[in-house]
Amino acid sequence: MPELTGKELRVVGFLCNWCSYGGADTAGVARFKQPTDLRIIRVPCSGRVDPLFVVKALLAGADGVLVSGCHPRDCHYTDGNFYARRRLEMLKRLLPFIGIDERRFHYTWVSASEGQKWQQVVTEFTNRLHQIGPLHAKKENEG
Amino acid sequence: MSTEKVKEAIAKILPDVETVICWQGGFDAVHATPCFITKPDEIDKVIWNPLCAQNLTSYLPSLNKKKVGIVVKGCDSRTIIQYLQEGLIDREKVVIIGVPCTGVVSVKKVLKEIGHQPVADVAFDNNGNIVVKTSKGEKTLAIADACPDKCATCQYPTPLVYDHLVGDPITSDKPKESVYQDVREFEAKTLEERKAYWEKELGRCIRCYACRNACPMCICQDSCIAETREPHWISQKLSLQEKFMFHMIHALHLAGRCVECGECDRVCPMDIPVSKIKKKINAEMKELFNYETGVNPDDRPPMFTFNVDEVKIKEHKI
Amino acid sequence: MPDTGYLPKGKIKDFIKELAKDAIVYAPVLEGETVVFGPFSEEQELCLERPANTPPKSVIYPQSETLFTFEHKKDPEDHQKMSVELKAGIDAPGTVIFGARPCDAKGFIIYDRVFINTDTPDPYYMKRRENTLIVTLSCTAPFSGCFCVAVGGSPASKEGADAMLTELPDGYLIEPVTEKGKAILNKPMIEDGSSRLKDAQQVQQKAHEAVKNPFAKGRPEISPELFDADSFWEQALSKCVSCGACTYLCPTCYCFNITDEQTFGKGERIRSWDACMFFHFTLEASTHNPRPTKFQRFKNRVGHKFVYYPEKYDGAIACCGCGRCIRYCPVSVDISEIVNDLGGGGQKQQTAGSAKND
Ligand code: SF4
Ligand code: SF4
Ligand code: SF4
Ligand code: SF4
Ligand code: SF4
Ligand code: FES
Repeated sequence: MPELTGKELRVVGFLCNWCSYGGADTAGVARFKQPTDLRIIRVPCSGRVDPLFVVKALLAGADGVLVSGCHPRDCHYTDGNFYARRRLEMLKRLLPFIGIDERRFHYTWVSASEGQKWQQVVTEFTNRLHQIGPLHAKKENEG
Repeated sequence: MSTEKVKEAIAKILPDVETVICWQGGFDAVHATPCFITKPDEIDKVIWNPLCAQNLTSYLPSLNKKKVGIVVKGCDSRTIIQYLQEGLIDREKVVIIGVPCTGVVSVKKVLKEIGHQPVADVAFDNNGNIVVKTSKGEKTLAIADACPDKCATCQYPTPLVYDHLVGDPITSDKPKESVYQDVREFEAKTLEERKAYWEKELGRCIRCYACRNACPMCICQDSCIAETREPHWISQKLSLQEKFMFHMIHALHLAGRCVECGECDRVCPMDIPVSKIKKKINAEMKELFNYETGVNPDDRPPMFTFNVDEVKIKEHKI
Repeated sequence: MPDTGYLPKGKIKDFIKELAKDAIVYAPVLEGETVVFGPFSEEQELCLERPANTPPKSVIYPQSETLFTFEHKKDPEDHQKMSVELKAGIDAPGTVIFGARPCDAKGFIIYDRVFINTDTPDPYYMKRRENTLIVTLSCTAPFSGCFCVAVGGSPASKEGADAMLTELPDGYLIEPVTEKGKAILNKPMIEDGSSRLKDAQQVQQKAHEAVKNPFAKGRPEISPELFDADSFWEQALSKCVSCGACTYLCPTCYCFNITDEQTFGKGERIRSWDACMFFHFTLEASTHNPRPTKFQRFKNRVGHKFVYYPEKYDGAIACCGCGRCIRYCPVSVDISEIVNDLGGGGQKQQTAGSAKND
C-alpha cells in the first residue's frame, strides 16, 4: 500500500486494452508500488474515449481523469489514437474555460512493456491531484 | 430598396423550387419571423432588413429531399458550407440567394435599451440607425451598438456561397484578431471567476433545448444524447451538474463545427451566453489546426481527421 | 380593519422582509437582463416593471422533484433476500409568491382542476399550494404578446390571487381576495387604502382596455375541420424548431415524466416537467411514435389548451394569454395568431378597447 498523505482521491483512468492496460498489468505483475486512488476502466482503444466520458467523470465526482493509449503510430487499430489526440487536446484546452483546472485531466501514451513508465505516470498524476486537492465536497455516506 | 430586389430574386427562382425560405414581419414590430414562400402571391410579405436575424439554414437538412430556395446573409452562408463539408445537404437541391449584410439587430439589446417596453414601430434611417417607437417615445440606436456580438467582428458580410447575389458584394473592415478577443478576455479571469461565472449563467438554464434545436449544426435533434435514458448521460434532476453536462454535450458535439451564427444565444429565453463555450473551442481549432468553420467546402472539420505528426500538439508533462 | 391597504413605494423591500419572517418569499428579481422568481434576499434587485421571463409555476410545481428515495438492502441473514426501503416526504415550507402577474396566478387555477379537484389529488402539489400565499401585481399596461383578455383573464384579474397590488404613482393599493390575503394588511407598513381604491380601479380599467384581443371573433373559436387538417398545421408550423421553450415557459403547461435515477442500489424517483413539444414525449417502447412530427405535436399543444381541456372542464381555456410562448419562441411562432386562424381567420383585432394602437 502506498503511503499517501491524507485520504484517497477518486481518479478515473480510461486505458486502451492493447497498450496501456497491458502497461498497468506489467507494473502490477512486477509489483511496482503505485497509489491506489486510480479506478481503471478498460476501453478497446483510446479512440473510444469520447471527451464526454472525461467531462461526465469530472462532473459526477471524480477528482481527476487519466486517459492513456498506445504511442502514436502504435495503435492496434492504426489511427484511433490520432483521433484521440486531437479530441483530448481540444478538451484539455476547454476545461479551464468552464472553470475546471486542466491539471485534473491528463492524457498520455504508455505501451504494454512500459510498466515503469506506467508507475511513474500514475504516481506523478496522483501526487499532482493531491496537491490540488479534491474537486468535490464529499457528500454524506460516501466513501 | 433591397427588399424589392430580394423579392425579385425570389420570384425568379420560385418556379424551380418547391419553397423559398426567407423572412417576414413577426408578431410585433421588432421581430422578424421565418417564412416559406410557395406561391408567387405570397412574395409580397417578404422582408429584408436588419431584423432578419434568424439563421434560416437550420431548415435545410430536413428539407433536403425537396429542391428549396433560401435567402442567406454572409454568416448564414457559412452554415451551408459547413453542411457541404459534412455531406449533410445536396448542393444541387439548394438555390441560394445571397444578400450582402451590414449587420443585424439583436432584439435583446434593443429591448434592453428601451427598458423592455412593447415596441409600437421600428424604422431604419440611412445612417445605420434603428429608430424604435414605444408608447414612451422614440429612441434612435446605432445598429452597430444594437447588433449581436458576431456582427461587431463579422469577417464575411457577403455570402461565401450563392447562386444569386442581391446587390454588390461588401468586404469586412473588422480586424481578424478581433474575432476571438472576447474569448481571450474571458480567459484572463481566474479559474474561480470563470467557474463562478458559469455556475451563475448556466444555473438559470431550464433545459428547454431551444439553443440546441435552433442550432443549425445540431443535426441529431430527436436522437440527442441529452434525452436518451440509455446511455444515461443526464438525469432528470435539475442540478448544476446536469446543466453543465448538457452544455458540454452541445459544445463538444460542435467542436470544430460551430459556425458562430449565434443562434443559441439569440434564442435562449434565459439570456445565457452559451455560444461562448463553442467559440472558445473554435479559437483553439484556429490555433491548433488553422481551421475556420464554414469558409471552404473542401476543408475537413478537424475532429474528422488527423495528422500523423501534429505540429501544434505537444506532449503534456505532469 | 380596512378592506384595502396601501403600501408606499419606498417600503416595498421592508414589506417583503416582513413577509419573509415566516415564509420563503419568491419575488421577481433581476439576473442580468433576465427576470426570474427567486427566493428574495436583500442584495437582489427586485424587478416589477415587466413580467418575469419564467412564470412562478416552479415554486408550487417544481421542474424536478423527488417523490421518494429508495434503497435496496440485502438481508444480513440471507443474502439472496433483498428488501427495498422507501422514504417519502413532501417538502412544503410556508411560501409567498410576491409580484406574480394575474395571468401567472390564473395558471395555478388551471393546475388545481387537474392536481387537486380530482378523485386522485396530487399530495405534493396540493401541500405546496396550500402552504403558498400568492400576492399578485396587476399590470398597468400589456406587454408584447399579451392577450389575457381574450381568454377570460384581465391585467387586473384577481382570480387565483390571495391579494393583488395595483401600482399608483407613489405606492401600491392592496386588495385582499382571500382570508389568507387579508392577513397581510396587518403588516406594520400597510396604511389604509380606501381613499385610493378609485384611482386604482381607473388604472385597472385602462390596462384592461389596452390589451389586444387577437381573435377576430373576440374569443377563441376553433373550426374542427381546420383543426384536423394536416395542411393547416404544416403551413402554420413549418418554422417551428420543435424545442420546448414554449412549454417550459408556459404557466399553464403541466405535463410531467416520472423516472428513477439510481446508482448502486439506491436512488430516487423523480417527477420532472415534460412537454408535448418533445419527440420523446410520446415515443413508445416499441420505437413507434404516434406523434412523430412537430406539426402533430403543436396540434396537441393547441388542442390541449383550447379544445380538450375546455371540453373536460366546463369550457375553461388552459391558456392564460401571458404571451411568453410568443415572446420567447426562437422563431416567433404566435399561438394567438394560430388560434385565430383556426377559427377561420379574419382580421385580428388590435386592442380590446377602442381603436388601433398606431
Ligand atoms: S455576422 Fe456579418 S453577415 Fe452575419 S448578420 Fe452580422 S454583419 Fe451580417
Ligand atoms: S435555450 Fe437557454 S434555457 Fe434553454 S436549454 Fe439552452 S441555455 Fe438552457
Ligand atoms: S453552437 Fe450556437 S453559434 Fe454555434 S452553430 Fe450552433 S447555434 Fe450557431
Ligand atoms: S413554437 Fe417556438 S418555442 Fe415552441 S417548440 Fe416551436 S420553436 Fe420552440
Ligand atoms: S400558451 Fe403561451 S400565452 Fe398561453 S399561457 Fe402558455 S405561454 Fe402563456
Ligand atoms: S488500441 Fe491503443 S490507442 Fe488504439
